[in-house]
Amino acid sequence: MIAAADLTVQRPRTLKQALQLLRDASAENQPLTPMAGGTDLFVTLNMGQRPSARYLDLWAIEKLRGVEATGKRGLVFGALATYTDCIESKAVHKRLPILVDAARQVGGVQIQNRGTLAGNIENGSPAADGVPVLMAADATVVLRSIDGERRVPLAAYYHGYRKTERRADELIVAVEVEVPDGTQRFDKVGTRAAQAISKVVMAAVGHRLAFGSVAPTVVRARALEAYVEAGGRDVAEAQRLALEDARPIDDVRSTAEYRRRVVANLVAAWLGGLDKPPRTR
Amino acid sequence: MKKIGPPVDRVDGPLKVTGGARYAAEVPVARVAHAVLVLSTIARGRITGMDTGKAERAPGVLAVITHKNAMHLPPQPTRETRASQGDHVLQLLQDDHVLYNRQPIAIVVADTFERAQHAAHLVAVRYEAAPVDVDLLRTRTAARAPHPPYHGTVAQTLPVESRRGDVAAALAAAAVRVEEVYTIPAETHNPMEPHATIAVWHGPTHLTVYDSTQGVFEDQRKLAASLGLPRENVRVISHYIGGGFGTKGAVWSHVPLAAMAAQKVGRPVKLVLSRPQMFGPVGARPQIEQRVVIGAGRDGVLAAIRHEGRSSVSQFDQFCEHFTAPTRALYKCPNLDTTERVVSLDIATPCQMRAPGEVTGTFALESALDELAVKLAIDPLELRLRNYAETDPETGRPWSSKSLRQCYQTAAEKFGWSRKKPQPRSMVDGKLLVGWGMATATYPANVRPASAIATLFADGTALVRAGTQDIGTGTYTVMTQVAADALGLPVEKVRFELGDTDMPETPTSGGSCTAASVGSAVHQACLGAREKLARLGNGGGADPSVDEPFAAQLARHGMKRIEARYDAKQLETRDRYAMRAFGAQFVEVRVDPELGEVRVSRAVGAFAAGRILNAKTARSQLLGGMIWGISMALHENTVYDPKLGRIMNNDLSEYLVPVNLDIPAIDVLFVPEDDPYVNEIGVKGVGEIGITGMAAAVANAVYHATGRRIRDLPITLDKLL
Ligand SMILES: Cc1cc2nc3c(=O)[nH]c(=O)nc-3n(C[C@H](O)[C@H](O)[C@H](O)COP(=O)(O)OP(=O)(O)OC[C@H]3O[C@@H](n4cnc5c(N)ncnc54)[C@H](O)[C@@H]3O)c2cc1C
Repeated sequence: MIAAADLTVQRPRTLKQALQLLRDASAENQPLTPMAGGTDLFVTLNMGQRPSARYLDLWAIEKLRGVEATGKRGLVFGALATYTDCIESKAVHKRLPILVDAARQVGGVQIQNRGTLAGNIENGSPAADGVPVLMAADATVVLRSIDGERRVPLAAYYHGYRKTERRADELIVAVEVEVPDGTQRFDKVGTRAAQAISKVVMAAVGHRLAFGSVAPTVVRARALEAYVEAGGRDVAEAQRLALEDARPIDDVRSTAEYRRRVVANLVAAWLGGLDKPPRTR
Repeated sequence: MKKIGPPVDRVDGPLKVTGGARYAAEVPVARVAHAVLVLSTIARGRITGMDTGKAERAPGVLAVITHKNAMHLPPQPTRETRASQGDHVLQLLQDDHVLYNRQPIAIVVADTFERAQHAAHLVAVRYEAAPVDVDLLRTRTAARAPHPPYHGTVAQTLPVESRRGDVAAALAAAAVRVEEVYTIPAETHNPMEPHATIAVWHGPTHLTVYDSTQGVFEDQRKLAASLGLPRENVRVISHYIGGGFGTKGAVWSHVPLAAMAAQKVGRPVKLVLSRPQMFGPVGARPQIEQRVVIGAGRDGVLAAIRHEGRSSVSQFDQFCEHFTAPTRALYKCPNLDTTERVVSLDIATPCQMRAPGEVTGTFALESALDELAVKLAIDPLELRLRNYAETDPETGRPWSSKSLRQCYQTAAEKFGWSRKKPQPRSMVDGKLLVGWGMATATYPANVRPASAIATLFADGTALVRAGTQDIGTGTYTVMTQVAADALGLPVEKVRFELGDTDMPETPTSGGSCTAASVGSAVHQACLGAREKLARLGNGGGADPSVDEPFAAQLARHGMKRIEARYDAKQLETRDRYAMRAFGAQFVEVRVDPELGEVRVSRAVGAFAAGRILNAKTARSQLLGGMIWGISMALHENTVYDPKLGRIMNNDLSEYLVPVNLDIPAIDVLFVPEDDPYVNEIGVKGVGEIGITGMAAAVANAVYHATGRRIRDLPITLDKLL
């Protein structure tokens, strides 16, 4: 547990200041923890886990706010884009409606107002609800340090349980999506109708399919995607292939067996709707 | 009784919504210091070392109290010597033993809450941990009879065994038989307001405690006994309580510990449990396994019931869940065997939780009856009507009143039960399976001795006082109504005060007994005051409030006030009648067959509980009970790590209860009931009956929807796929 007196929080107003602070801190081997909405960080603080005593609060950096539509099918989410921003964005409704579905089911209104997509990604929880949608939509994470920028596909962003591609001197500055064609689908399975930590999440955009809560990280169902792309439509085979990537475990929230069955049932439902025309809003 | 019944708004409502109602932790006390508990991280063993240096040196810290430096207390009661219902065996830093996970092992006091909390985390503890046994369903420890001599529930001591007729013979001869085992995990109360205590010493021998408690007098007794003080030297005050549900029905360790800490630092001390600390050291519903065997004829008439089982208890204290109590009372059945056993585990002592025994027992019995109905292809409601108990099946006594038949009818009609298609999986809504289930609700009509004082003033107002508690149920409001009614005054002219051991003694608010017990005392005290006034003369036997206002009468006699006290006892009719409230629960669920998700989409409950004092507060109690029944059926589960004995979900993120979106519109219906025998005001109490039967009604609906019978609560998604 951290005493309030031990906490330092820096609150830069520009991205440049933020990146400089990060660089200086990691050069001194005293990395700063970026903080966006704080909805994940506060939970760990409150539980007496000590991720860090030194925070870099990004909330004042106006440039990182909001959602932008680009080109015909592009969306750019600033690092501070919240679930509420997604729910209120016409472009998101049009281009990636399942992100609105997901955003509406994250926490309660207070969490939706503060929680960000970037925080959801970087927190690295396998049960994250925003990540599967973005992963199925082939999103790219834009990382920037004081030296420059690099782009990493979200599907390649995780190296293991809560291990990400980000270096200590980098920030996620944006998440970019060129929404692929095809039917979209989002399923969040939980014990209660709201405020539920997902037991299984599935997001699909066309042939692209991502699962949450079934592996150490959110995963793409690569084997199944390849099969379907090649024209495969056999339900049993599709279910078998999905379970090559979705390898759930038993935990406090559910059983592995249950999650496997739900994955299989969701895959069957998804396959059934795959060749129907995409829904419109 | 004109003032009684209508949905009068809570008299304390404006104070509550404006923040003017002061809960225990909010009472302003000069120089108050803040205490935070340190809880054990192991579940059994010994403390071999404690490093408190860092905590002691932390800013603002006034004291770190452990078993090494705690004040020595007089010998505390043990499991064998404890005196009463509320006399728990506590852990008061008197030795190095750890008996359960999250046991208080130190208390840190500082000038601010934040500093105390910080320092509490700096206390380093070394343990010698012993192997643990925490899971009722996996333990090898044999069940045993509960400890004599004391194993009572809230209102009365109930037998742990009962026999009538010849069950073995009747079962052997029965045309059909159902035999199943039902389990319920430990559930944790979690009222919105956590436990909170402020202890203020006045010199070395007098103590005032502001506590969030369901029983100020029990609190007073236990504090006095633990600290070695005369009872009259301890005053307990509890004006507002944000829910209790049984966890605040008796004193737990943190209350005397707060007093010890206040003595140590020579300042008043405030101790508030955090939400995670509500799991462990302040009770829970025990883990329970029940076996129900029913034999019946083809016509559904019950021939025999055997109901037996075991519940968990701690290694060092007593508690017995009386889950067979409803079975002994609900249906006409000539042959019955009931047995309750306990198993000692390395857990904290379980305790009463809303409708103890009645809610757990009805889950098993009402599920088993549904199974019998399925086997016989008889409608479950019809099955219950065929076995309706016109008199108390245990004692043969008449009921003081019983309107269960009307409850069934009213609820079934509102629900549309006659349109049920009996076959499981036969009702659908799109891809969702729809299921209907029902169950009987019941709760004993408890009354305990209570006193009240009514004072009439020359300004035409009245003050009525009784030491009782308002645990959120509406005691302030309904007692004001009862008094206004007896005095013939408007509600606005009457003030009711409670929550103080300096006031007349009343029972702990448990067992749904407050409205009946305190209400009787209030009613009689008010009548007594009127009578006293009338006896002064010139009353002429006429109604003084009508003929001549109190104010004028008092003035005429040159008096400023007149006062009367009444000590209400149980009526002798208790020996001649059986007394219970009854109800009927009907539930509709929708189940997603691909995902196993269950949502309750409709619920109707009809209840007959004697006179309803206030239609609004009574409805809230019943509604809250029904919602909790849904929660019990689908969500609640305190998860222990079987190897370490730790509670793994000690917060409201992982210990699930329903959210708003999970709860549909619920119909609460009252069946009017006039009971002249139960007590002076004809009240049976509505605090607990609403939860009884509900879990079974949900489970029965899930069966009807899916064809799957879930006998192990909670009914989680994985059990349905
Ligand atoms: C009550 C409650 C309910 C919740 N319900 C849900 C739910 O239903 N579904 C769900 O998926 N999640 C849920 N969450 C978790 C959380 O709200 C989300 O993960 C949210 O998206 C986190 O965003 P944030 O901005 O608050 O992150 P923060 O807490 O600020 O940060 C999270 C992590 O990301 C890092 N980080 C943040 N921004 C950046 C950046 N720009 N660059 C680099 N690193 C960064 C932080 O250092 C930290 O490690 C819930 C949380 C709570 C408290």
